[in-house]
Amino acid sequence: MSDNPNPSDSAIEVRQLRKEFGVLKAVDGVSFDLKRGEFLSVFGPNGAGKTTLIKILAGLTRPSSGTARVAGYEVAEGRSEMRREIGVISHSSALYADLTPMENLIFFGKMYGLDHPKESALEVLEDVGLAARRHDRVRTFSRGMLQRLSIARAILHDPSILFLDEPFTGLDIHASNVLKEHLQTLHNNKRTILMTTHDVSCGLEMCDKVALQVMGKFAFFEDIKDVDKENFETMYFDAVRNNQFTMGIRPH
Amino acid sequence: MNLFLSQITAIVWKDVVTELKTRELFSAMFIFALLVILIFIFSVNLSIVKASEVGPGILWVAFLFSGTLGLNRSFVMEKENGCLMGLMLVPADRTAIYFGKLISNFVFLTIMELFILPLFMIFFNIDLLEHLAPLLLVIFLGTLGFCALGTLLSSLASNLKTREIMLPILLYPILVPIIIGVVRMTGQILAGEPLSEMMNWIGLTASFDIIYIGVSIMTIDHILEE
Repeated sequence: MSDNPNPSDSAIEVRQLRKEFGVLKAVDGVSFDLKRGEFLSVFGPNGAGKTTLIKILAGLTRPSSGTARVAGYEVAEGRSEMRREIGVISHSSALYADLTPMENLIFFGKMYGLDHPKESALEVLEDVGLAARRHDRVRTFSRGMLQRLSIARAILHDPSILFLDEPFTGLDIHASNVLKEHLQTLHNNKRTILMTTHDVSCGLEMCDKVALQVMGKFAFFEDIKDVDKENFETMYFDAVRNNQFTMGIRPH
Repeated sequence: MNLFLSQITAIVWKDVVTELKTRELFSAMFIFALLVILIFIFSVNLSIVKASEVGPGILWVAFLFSGTLGLNRSFVMEKENGCLMGLMLVPADRTAIYFGKLISNFVFLTIMELFILPLFMIFFNIDLLEHLAPLLLVIFLGTLGFCALGTLLSSLASNLKTREIMLPILLYPILVPIIIGVVRMTGQILAGEPLSEMMNWIGLTASFDIIYIGVSIMTIDHILEE
């Protein structure tokens, strides 16, 4: 991980963050701190604003108001230095389907200004267990392999902070377990991780802090040691059911 | 500065490797340009009108229409699988992304034009070889302006559902000064006039090239941001 010019203890500091799309408040007054090396799982029903929160923190979209500091850098300033410190895994793989994993990673390595992009690419491919498929086109990969390759792309430049947006979506049990192992290794390597997920057991198992986002707000934010998992699960499913009512969907 | 240049080179390398594997862009542009020229060959009676008079317009219609196909693919390719998001996450100046895409588009379109020129020469029975140097200069200026503006507008249109329709509607009206300039210059070259006779047109086309690139540098950051 690269040295940070700001030796603050917090990896992520968010204060009264808001993002509005017309009348819709996607993120509504969210505030929290995440220390270096901590793992935050953010749960919430569809449309709660989880993806928008990650997009703001990754500098992909500007907040309407409030402040967010990531790795000591003000997100709204859109600094390149901040982008060096973060890796993002989202719904889409951000990989070129007609290129091979090696070609994709060498390309991103060059974009990150790595000294030895080829060696770095091979190293992360070995980390995620895809070295044997390094010369196959990405188009031929399964969803699970794509997700592992996305991890390789996200950690290629050795970022200190990772944002994961529903990384388990569409994976079978085996692929989920493999991905979980990779995330656990990344967490053990002292990377700060913010993950949004619908997988309650998996999210609670891996994290240090838990948040529940509902209609843009953080309705719940606690240390995992202070969380009663059964109560939290009930609260989460209530939030999802209420959200279905709001969206006009009848629950079973 | 070194990182900026290596990022531009990386984008061009990635686009060239992709094109070498898929051959989607070149084959589509080449076949379309060839069809445009063939349609005009059969619809224009070359025993009544001079080929050197109608030829420049037909040549540039073929270049620009087929080039629009390529531009449409340019940023759509980046949108597939969220690749543009991946590019936005790297510590790169947005103008590096713009210049990388501009150079890729320019290279692909120029190669297609170089393949079309001999066919145009055969179909219209015009000897381009004696005017090759000035003609290549005009093609360079026209293609640069087209790609400079087209790359910017394709990045804008790639966010729209009706991107295939919107790109030409946005592009051609703003491109009018360059289209007029290059068609007039090509006509003068085929009529055997020296380059010194068309300095005003060269100046105008080069000025618009610079303006389009300047405007793109100033606006690409806002256009690429969601």
